[in-house]
Amino acid sequence: MAGPALSLTVNEVAREVRCPTCNTPLDVSNSPAADRMKLFIADRIANGDDKQEIIDALVVEFGRGVLATPPKSGFDLVAWIVPIVLVVGGLAAIPFATRAWARRRGGASAPEIAPEDAARLDEELRRRDA
Amino acid sequence: MPPTADPDEAGGDRRRLIGLIVGAVAAALIVVLLVVGLMNRGMSTTIDDALETGSRPPTPALTLPVLVSGPGLPPVGQDASLSDLKGTVVVLNLWASWCDPCKEESPVLERLWRANRDRGVVVLGVDIQDLSSDALAFIREYGLTYPSLRDGTDDAKSALEATGVPETYVIDRTGRIALHVAGPVGSAAQLQGTINRVLAGK
Repeated sequence: MAGPALSLTVNEVAREVRCPTCNTPLDVSNSPAADRMKLFIADRIANGDDKQEIIDALVVEFGRGVLATPPKSGFDLVAWIVPIVLVVGGLAAIPFATRAWARRRGGASAPEIAPEDAARLDEELRRRDA
Repeated sequence: MPPTADPDEAGGDRRRLIGLIVGAVAAALIVVLLVVGLMNRGMSTTIDDALETGSRPPTPALTLPVLVSGPGLPPVGQDASLSDLKGTVVVLNLWASWCDPCKEESPVLERLWRANRDRGVVVLGVDIQDLSSDALAFIREYGLTYPSLRDGTDDAKSALEATGVPETYVIDRTGRIALHVAGPVGSAAQLQGTINRVLAGK
């Protein structure tokens, strides 16, 4: 496939879509159907189409399920938002969780002293202040 | 931090129990999701199971765009429903241009079509997992004259519980599946018996 050095490569487009028979990204797929799709992409590149135009053409052929990553709009946004919410929520929960664990291990409360030691301490402090 | 305090035994037990319940519910949810996912991936074999017991399972409802039109079908590009073909015996063949067995099978299907099209039978290709330009080139190359629908989203494959291409189904006049051939049809005789039977209303 001839073309200028900085032109779009087949793999740059292929990694954005899915092979319909193998359910893996097209750039790492080698099924007969995947080979045909790569040829289709190569033809389109030779034709001067840009990446989005080629992806759009593949969506027309195979539906939005052909996209390797869900589109960032409409209901498909859920696939992007849910992981972010889970990670941020998890990070936010760390201070609460560590505090709860520390409390369970008794780290926060002062060590107790025996009544006779407490009495002796009070007595000595009184004597010192006098 | 001096390790002096005794953990609250009762509280710890309660927390462990809650943790266990939450974990069990999460695990159960994952198992349910897996099962639902597998069932939606066409792993079920209800069509073959029904055929094995001698009954004819109903053809699932399918609406697909026409790639090559034919009798009883709307023009190219418009949607056709399998239910529109009730009253006709349909030999439905899932195929793809990149599928080698399909290349050997298509002349057999073409012969069947030519021999039966005046008897109320339609051979109907359903092109799946394929580029429509490739599909049309295949039809031209092999001189196929029977109609085809196009399925870009695997609807037909999952609805018909197919595992690959080619697969062929003989559907009777009432829209019920009388025969399922997984893999290529080797000869016209393999389907002609069933076609004659369903044409005779049996």
